[in-house]
Amino acid sequence: MLESQMIYQIVDSLEEMNSKLNRVIELLECNGSHSVEDKAFFSETETLDVIKLLSLPDHLRRTATTLFEIGPATADEIARKTSKERAVESNYLNQLVRMKHVKKYREGRKVYFCTNESIKSSNSNCNIAFK
Amino acid sequence: MTITVAIHSSKGGTGKTSIAVNLAVAFASEGLDTCLIDMDLRGPSLCTIFKQTPRFWINDFLSGKCTINDTLNDMKKKVKSSGHLYLSYSNPDITQIRELVGKDRAWQASALKALMNVKKDLAQKDIDIIMIDTSPGMEYESINAVAASDIVLVVQNDTDACNYCTEQLINGVYSLLDKKYAIIDNMCHFNCLENIENSRYGAAIIASIPCMCDVPMRSKKEILVLTDPEHQFSKSILRIKHWIEKMQ
Ligand SMILES: Nc1ncnc2c1ncn2[C@@H]1O[C@H](COP(=O)(O)OP(=O)(O)OP(=O)(O)O)[C@@H](O)[C@H]1O
Ligand SMILES: [Mg+2]
Repeated sequence: MLESQMIYQIVDSLEEMNSKLNRVIELLECNGSHSVEDKAFFSETETLDVIKLLSLPDHLRRTATTLFEIGPATADEIARKTSKERAVESNYLNQLVRMKHVKKYREGRKVYFCTNESIKSSNSNCNIAFK
Repeated sequence: MTITVAIHSSKGGTGKTSIAVNLAVAFASEGLDTCLIDMDLRGPSLCTIFKQTPRFWINDFLSGKCTINDTLNDMKKKVKSSGHLYLSYSNPDITQIRELVGKDRAWQASALKALMNVKKDLAQKDIDIIMIDTSPGMEYESINAVAASDIVLVVQNDTDACNYCTEQLINGVYSLLDKKYAIIDNMCHFNCLENIENSRYGAAIIASIPCMCDVPMRSKKEILVLTDPEHQFSKSILRIKHWIEKMQ
């Protein structure tokens, strides 16, 4: 087989693996996340304000700031803004969820992340989901 | 493309408002649609300078009581500029300021979200440049303004305390929020025209403005960049304007 053909095959396989991994992550996220109707969704989140953003570890700050700006959003949407891998952003967003700065909920097959602020903002998906 | 510039400083009285007003007028005079927002909510200046009482204040917008458009007052005719010059004023009434001081973190977070949306709203109105005047130091509203801006101009005077605190702001706020930033040295006492440093704390020094006694006197009645473009202060403003244009 030609060397260049082999490289194409390797790239194809890698892309396939990547998309499979993304699906696995999606499924895992769905298992761990509450639906917006769940009581747990409303449990205490810490308000994410500018001073809190400043005190976050460097790797989480950009993710949190982007979510604050455009949220509610999926890991994919955040990754497109920050030009990082979806899996990386998904990991950061879940860290922020564990730190109680961010909430996640699912709508159909998609998992959305949001801050307290985006819950309040009037035209947000979160609000639609609450109805 | 709409660009947002916050004028900030570590210490008070360094010349932020003077620079913000002259810069905004300079941009509007050149035909750019400009918006100047007074985010010095604790010590408002713009409504006194432009002698206006608006229907809605920026305070109303931040509290979700009106849109940003409701707060805008076009001064194009008054300053005879070719571009629009929209002013958004902060309410100097002491009861308003007392109320603001008592606001909690949740209010500040929603104010930040509102400020971030200003850019989107004003971009639809084809505003070219948004300038935000702020309170000095780590005031909540000022850091919100910084977070909602693309560029931060930090104005400083030649004192050790101001220098030290500027360095803190650069490393502890502007860099962490991924902002572009530059220093303006104002009220310099050395012969700054000959001794211009290029950078300090990793930030470009884009202007060094001498201390000139006629600036405070004349600024009471005129906007120097309009009435006296050959004045050293006006020339420095144009230099800063040029730097901002290059950043776009
Ligand atoms: N280059 C200069 N030479 C002399 N006086 C100046 C110069 N620049 C500004 N001033 C004067 O300094 C005073 C303070 O300026 P200004 O109000 O613009 O500062 P500020 O940073 O906005 O203050 P604050 O922190 O209170 O908002 C004003 O009287 C102004 O006219
Ligand atoms: Mg001022």
